[in-house]
Amino acid sequence: MRTTRGSLWLPPALLLLSWLSGCASVAPLGSALPPGAPARIELLDAPFFPQQDHQCGPSALATVLEASGTAAVPEQLVAEVYLPGREGSLQQELLAAARRRGRLAYVLPEDPGALLAEVEAGRPVLILQNLGIDAHPLWHYAVLIGFDAVRNQVLLRSGRQDRLVMSWQRFEGSWRRGGRWAATMLEPGTLPAQPIALNYLDACAGLEAAGMLDGAASSYAAAADRWPENPLVHLGQGNVAYARGDLRAAVGAYRRGVRLAPADAALRNNLAQALLDSGCAEQALAEAREAAELAQGSALAADVRVTLESAMRATESTGTIESCPDSMAGGDTEQSLSLRDDAGNGTDD
Amino acid sequence: MFTENLRRACVAVMCVSLLSVAMPLPAQAAIVTTDRAVALEQRGSYVSTITAALARDDVRSRMVALGVDPATVEARLGGLTDTELATLAERIDNAPAGGDVLAIIGIVFVVLMILEFTGVIDIFKKV
Repeated sequence: MRTTRGSLWLPPALLLLSWLSGCASVAPLGSALPPGAPARIELLDAPFFPQQDHQCGPSALATVLEASGTAAVPEQLVAEVYLPGREGSLQQELLAAARRRGRLAYVLPEDPGALLAEVEAGRPVLILQNLGIDAHPLWHYAVLIGFDAVRNQVLLRSGRQDRLVMSWQRFEGSWRRGGRWAATMLEPGTLPAQPIALNYLDACAGLEAAGMLDGAASSYAAAADRWPENPLVHLGQGNVAYARGDLRAAVGAYRRGVRLAPADAALRNNLAQALLDSGCAEQALAEAREAAELAQGSALAADVRVTLESAMRATESTGTIESCPDSMAGGDTEQSLSLRDDAGNGTDD
Repeated sequence: MFTENLRRACVAVMCVSLLSVAMPLPAQAAIVTTDRAVALEQRGSYVSTITAALARDDVRSRMVALGVDPATVEARLGGLTDTELATLAERIDNAPAGGDVLAIIGIVFVVLMILEFTGVIDIFKKV
């Protein structure tokens, strides 16, 4: 009885196991290959830093940084990204260390084709793998340096191995279990092989947060060329100008954004704040009121309320004294066009 | 005479400092940072200025607790965006957390084990 039942269970169990290991579901590497890409590429010049204990993060990061033209040694990176209590490095901290070195750390979309396209463009890709399973993850950073569509395999700088050949199936599985996370290090102002607007703007915002304002400005300028109609590009340009203390350029950039997206509470909020700092309390109040109405009930409501309150205080306290420059008061097109040039050239400072 | 001048100077300094306290300072500006606006567009989640400040404090103390040198922790926080800080404040102890489909593996395995032990199935002895 027992034997019969066991043999009955065996075929579905094996089927389940094969499903779990992902044998059937992974499409071959060739199907993810970007159009026109060669079947086989290996970035022979990509540097290699063999990892120390638990420190695949600093080693892999050093590889992609050095390949992007920024001198980096893992020993220095350890103090910046290694988290002893976790015996590893966090993705966010790897990105932060790259930004502090002036690199535009671009997180790729969760698409294997985007990884291969980066390698084709000559840039090694930092990837996160889970070499275990979800219940017992074994997180590991490696660098993708090549692929071979004919043999259906990839080439990695991984751990202590300078040229690890891994089947596409195994690689794709471990990358998927790692959350399909991959990043490439770009020169500020350049675009990845297959740019996605929000991913790119997120990378620009990272440089901005790290205080690398020149790099952020040139990257936003590249974004403005590529996606001129995206209001977030203008928010970013405005925020960089604001951080530099260039209120005129900030107001101009926010106004451009508001023209593209009149219902965007974030743009109106920042416009109000920049106007307020410029001494244009009346105009600031009008924008802040508009922003408050738009943000009602949304996540932005609390932040917009702060701006509205300070605009209200400013109009009460300044009274008749209005130090608003004429150029700030209006939103005329000519003024904004000249500010657009200012924002674009600001990168050469 | 000298004390009188000193008193006047003190009053003047106090007046100026009180006035400057009353004036809105740029440091208190509620600028919506680009990364927060992008996250709102990308994932529909927004980190407010206050939440971001709290997250920064939170991550700073967690990092020190996890063995980061207090002298370098501020520099390490330097390159992180508000959104990243909020993410880490929430799950620095189990990040990176990826993948959801394969969480099923663990569950399936546990279910198989239970079925095995209760005698419903017998695959582990057979395979």
